[in-house]
Amino acid sequence: MTKSIRILVWLGVSILGALALGTIALHRGEQINAMWLVVAAVCAYSLGYRFYSKFVSAKVLALDAQRATPAERLEDGRDFVPTNKWVVFGHHFAAIAGPGPLVGPVLAAQFGYLPGTLWILAGAVFGGCVQDFVILLFSVRRDGRSLTEMAREEIGVVGGFVAYVAVISIIVILLGAGALIVVNALKSSPWGVFTIAMTIPIALLMGFYLRHLRPGKVLEVSFLGFVLVMLAIWGGQWVSQTPTVAPWFTLTAPALAIVIIIYGFAASALPVWLLLAPRDYLSTFVKLGTIGLLALGIIVLRPTLHMPPLTRFVDGSGPIFAGKIFPFAFITIACGAISGFHSLISSGTTPKLIRREPETRMVGYGAMMAESMVAIMATIACCVLQPGIYFAINSPAGVVGQLPETAVATISGWGFPVTAAGMHALAQAVGEQTLFNRTGGAPAFAVGMAHIFSSSLGGQAVMAIWYHFAIMFEALFILTVLDAGTRVGRFMVQDALGHIWKPLGRTSWYPSILATSALIVAAWGSFLWQGVKDPLGGINSLWPLFGICNQLLATVALCVATTIIVKMGKARYSPVTLVPLLWLVAVTFTASWHKIFDPNPRIGFLAHARQLASSATPSPEISRLILNDRLDAAVAGVLVCMVALILLESISVWVSVVSGRMQARVREAPFVPTRFAAEERV
Amino acid sequence: MSSSTVKPGSNARPTAERWSRRTRASSTWFAGSIRLFLSALREIFDESAYARFLARHSISSCPDAYAAFLREHGAAKARRPKCC
Repeated sequence: MTKSIRILVWLGVSILGALALGTIALHRGEQINAMWLVVAAVCAYSLGYRFYSKFVSAKVLALDAQRATPAERLEDGRDFVPTNKWVVFGHHFAAIAGPGPLVGPVLAAQFGYLPGTLWILAGAVFGGCVQDFVILLFSVRRDGRSLTEMAREEIGVVGGFVAYVAVISIIVILLGAGALIVVNALKSSPWGVFTIAMTIPIALLMGFYLRHLRPGKVLEVSFLGFVLVMLAIWGGQWVSQTPTVAPWFTLTAPALAIVIIIYGFAASALPVWLLLAPRDYLSTFVKLGTIGLLALGIIVLRPTLHMPPLTRFVDGSGPIFAGKIFPFAFITIACGAISGFHSLISSGTTPKLIRREPETRMVGYGAMMAESMVAIMATIACCVLQPGIYFAINSPAGVVGQLPETAVATISGWGFPVTAAGMHALAQAVGEQTLFNRTGGAPAFAVGMAHIFSSSLGGQAVMAIWYHFAIMFEALFILTVLDAGTRVGRFMVQDALGHIWKPLGRTSWYPSILATSALIVAAWGSFLWQGVKDPLGGINSLWPLFGICNQLLATVALCVATTIIVKMGKARYSPVTLVPLLWLVAVTFTASWHKIFDPNPRIGFLAHARQLASSATPSPEISRLILNDRLDAAVAGVLVCMVALILLESISVWVSVVSGRMQARVREAPFVPTRFAAEERV
Repeated sequence: MSSSTVKPGSNARPTAERWSRRTRASSTWFAGSIRLFLSALREIFDESAYARFLARHSISSCPDAYAAFLREHGAAKARRPKCC
């Protein structure tokens, strides 16, 4: 393609992207087609990848195709393996794509589709993709070192410690929030409970099949597992419609919480091959397939968005979570725009597979773009619902009332008409007893996804199957994160305790396994229990806390990245990571301030505690809720102090380097020429 | 064959050859893409890691070999965080 044609093509992409963004942002009073979001996203990602990531790779990072990567230098056929870039891309995407980009945008849609969409696009192109890309490259240049190791080496001891605490905190709060989403999706739903319960024997069967019948045939057994899960979904319908069996699987929220806590403990203590590994394979198989299917459904159906671009809840009075767009939209949508958790993957297995340095651009920047696209699809899936239905599903009973009549009156009063009969018909269509107060984001996403699927594949007759497929898909996702996260948390606690008393650090010593598993499960289990018991719907407080934790980790990652860029003598290019860092600091600080001190009891933990103390007659239940509020306030306070600490230590390093008081010395592995360049020339 | 060797009146031949070349190139590209896709799946699902394990230890696949692979690989897998 000649240069002039290339210029014309990119000019066309820019104009189309501007047109799509203009339509999304400026259309008022009329519904728009979801394809505008898809077009805006594709154009924004294309331009971001072609121009911005190229600028970062050429000017800031100076990617060197002649430099051997650790996969080549340290190749051992086990962890370090030079791998085709597309294969690494798939591997990396499968690791970073979790339930976060699906749930966050659904919750943030209470502000309308516009704020979430703009944050997902801008946050990913200028923040999330850059973070994943630079951390991946810096890890590649440091023999695949982890984020916490890089923080300790490049920033200092405080940086390393904060990174460690942030990782533990994020894991605990993520697990609590994730478990609560599963509870809210499955409570009083015999169909959902049966299907999810069946995935445990299916995973055990897969583990046995893999170990004894067809060793190593993971793809084959995952396909078999998928077929069995589909049969379990079909069987769930029979269970829900059989009066003698349905009660066995109709569980209340507290009962489900107890079951999930027991499951988490068992998954952490059982051998990996028996439950964790097969579930992980099954979850990945379902995840990749469903994301592809959802993309296809949106493109084929091209649905209309019924949600307005901005709702009245931009003033902070939202029923799903209270608080204004800034900072709460940016805390709620983390994984689709920027997620600190990704920096753990970018400095984990992926850098050990990269064959050539320039491939970090496609893998780091490109995979995050794909993840961000998943968040756009989640936004579409929930915004195709009538807003009244969306709010009826997502609003907690503490805000709209327990009875359907009260809930529809409240929601219709907000200007989003919905009827009890309509909600009942929808619940019947998807095979549920009720869809009111199904908070957490998963049920609303499942209804939206079922709506898209049933409109393009199978019609209304199979809406219930698609709904339960979506619920199963999300619950499976989250439970996989739950069992893997509990185990990772267990190892981290064992590593730390091993410094105090050596036997506690032995990962094969059962007393230590049981004690540390119990410790981690108790940590996230208490958050879960608090969420289940909280009358305002625990997701209100848990999800912002999770967002703050996740953004804290991203802050640590961007502090590491900025410090390395400054030490490389490229301070003039530091805004590439410094600007997203400052934005995240502003978001995290403001959100934490509101969550602790805001006088509105729906936002501030302390105000809520004061309200409970003054308005209710004293009881053990009320005392526990007050204690929970104070605990949440303390957690938020500690997190924001850690952000301040790491930022101050980083700023001190930057100032010392720029002023010449400190010799800039990066701790990269020495340059070794790659053999792949010579092979390519041959 | 270059177009200069084609006799006047036989224009159909180079066009047919061009089409055949394009079809061959497309099918090669398609087969390559499928191979790449399957390689990615095998990497994601640890089948490639198992194959490398077998090659490294010069053994063939059997329940004992897979159990040994799981012992080695499982510890690393269990320490790998899953993203949100």
